Amino acid sequence: MDETIAGGAGVQERGRRVDGDRSARALLVIGLLALALAATALFSLTWGASDASALGLVRSWLFGATPGNEALSMRDSVIVYDIRLPRIVLGMLVGAALAISGAVMQGLFRNPLADPGLVGVSAGAGLGAVSVIVLGATVLAPFTALLGSYALPFAAFGGGLLTTIILYNVATRQGRTSIATMLLAGIALGAMAMALTGVLVYIADDRQLRDLTFWQLGSLAGATWLKIAGAGPIIVLALATTPFMAKGLNALALGEATASHLGVPVQRLKYVAIVAVSAAIGASVAVSGGIGFVGIVVPHLLRLAIGPDNRYLLPASALLGACLLLLADAVSRTIVAPAELPIGIVTAAVGGPFFLWILLRKRGVVDL
Amino acid sequence: MIEARQVSVSIGSTRIVSDVDFTVRPGELAAIVGPNGSGKTTFLRALTGELAYSGQVSLNGRDAVKLKPWEAASIRAVLPQSTALSFPFTVREIVKLGVTGGRSGALAGEDDRLPERALARVDLEGFAGRFYQELSGGEQQRVQLARVLCQVWAPVLDGQPRYLFLDEPVSSLDIKHQLIIMNIARDFARRGGGVVAILHDLNLTAMYADQICVMHRGKLAAAGAPQVVLTDGLIEKVFGCRLRVGALPQGDIPFVLPQSAVA
Repeated sequence: MDETIAGGAGVQERGRRVDGDRSARALLVIGLLALALAATALFSLTWGASDASALGLVRSWLFGATPGNEALSMRDSVIVYDIRLPRIVLGMLVGAALAISGAVMQGLFRNPLADPGLVGVSAGAGLGAVSVIVLGATVLAPFTALLGSYALPFAAFGGGLLTTIILYNVATRQGRTSIATMLLAGIALGAMAMALTGVLVYIADDRQLRDLTFWQLGSLAGATWLKIAGAGPIIVLALATTPFMAKGLNALALGEATASHLGVPVQRLKYVAIVAVSAAIGASVAVSGGIGFVGIVVPHLLRLAIGPDNRYLLPASALLGACLLLLADAVSRTIVAPAELPIGIVTAAVGGPFFLWILLRKRGVVDL
Repeated sequence: MIEARQVSVSIGSTRIVSDVDFTVRPGELAAIVGPNGSGKTTFLRALTGELAYSGQVSLNGRDAVKLKPWEAASIRAVLPQSTALSFPFTVREIVKLGVTGGRSGALAGEDDRLPERALARVDLEGFAGRFYQELSGGEQQRVQLARVLCQVWAPVLDGQPRYLFLDEPVSSLDIKHQLIIMNIARDFARRGGGVVAILHDLNLTAMYADQICVMHRGKLAAAGAPQVVLTDGLIEKVFGCRLRVGALPQGDIPFVLPQSAVA
């Protein structure tokens, strides 16, 4: 009956707004974010400390290199294809991985403050990476000799996964994971990983210390196609599992028991989510170090805009995370040009106050 | 049919529920009553598979332990005592989870409007766009009931009766909504489903239940029709207070019974 009232014009039926249904708005936001990401990527390609211009390159494709300009466009091509492009691809992968891992973990823990950084996964991954940097030439020499340039990503991935597995076993009794125990255990594990990292920092020599500091602050500066070949598939694979978690994570918001009554295989969901998150975080930490706040701010912001439905929140988080990390990277590589500011400083400097502002807002998510 | 045989639940070394037998037939509304801490909720959690138990529970003849989560979800829906959320879902988004979770059994094309219809049934018309976390406890409870109703909208699906498990569905509600919710439960049973509800209000229980199970210290103290079960002796034994069933108050003290409700 109410359909006839609402759809008075008849043709309005499909576009009719349903109270409390935010899916249309969410799809619109996802579309806009995709456009924004494309625009940001193009902008990043043309923006940098060097005056190398991607547009100039496009011109030279179209009209051929003008005589006397060949060397210049050669240099431009190296800057664009071998420096900026891998960096942009890596930035998008890492940004998407951080944001979506945050969103998945928040869904899993039913807590908007849960974040891989918070439950020690990033710290564990970091410990793995720092071990290789500091001990790679001595104690871990066989490991680094075996894996070569893959030693760092593998160690970080291993550290992240190990932390998550310990976390899971500590917090799980008789097949049930207690969220409170998991959060607290995560804080404890994070502290232990940080302490061990501290010991390694203490015994590191000067050169290692410099590497460590830059790596810990987080940076996309070392982006190469080789790194992307190592970390990219892991991140893409982890991201590819998330659409299958969305419905289950929505139900999980009502509690584990209720989710299971709604037909969700809760234990399997938790298992898949944990492995996906630690893979994505391990791979990201290995290639870019500790970049904070993306995983907590991005999903938070999106929940305010489109609501907490994970079917939309997860893809939107990936897009916005990628977009924001590209912007932060554009700032980090130009603000003190020709030097570079580690991107972790940029995300913390912007993300920290921004997050506080969200917390202080009355209609914020946390106080609800 | 829901059948529980010799169901016992221990948490740690404490035995919470001991050897309870319990049967609910399609068309029945069964009430579980008993004092606080008598094991009602623990027993319900065993029935719904939330807690490990010894003994046997079957739904429509199938061992409950062997049902996959999605199979169980298409046979029965469960309303918990209360549900707190940490994310700002709208009321409609919560109710919609019931539609996507089970098999509503509504006619094709009706699923879209099911949340609105369920909300109207629990007297929350127009609440779809509100934020769940901003509602009162009683309103939240009714939103959850609307979600649960969506999950098993048709009381009978593919010739199989379906079931509602309700843990204190009316304890945070005013008298009007208590009656509305109990009528929904009875209607679900009358149309061929089965209902198991934990209740505290003995008057509502007497009015709506086809069968009452009285729990006392983890054991079944009595079971049967309200007329048989609710006696002075049983109430004194189980609840530990000397009440008289059916006695009117002295003098001019007003009393309001749900039984006096005029349809």
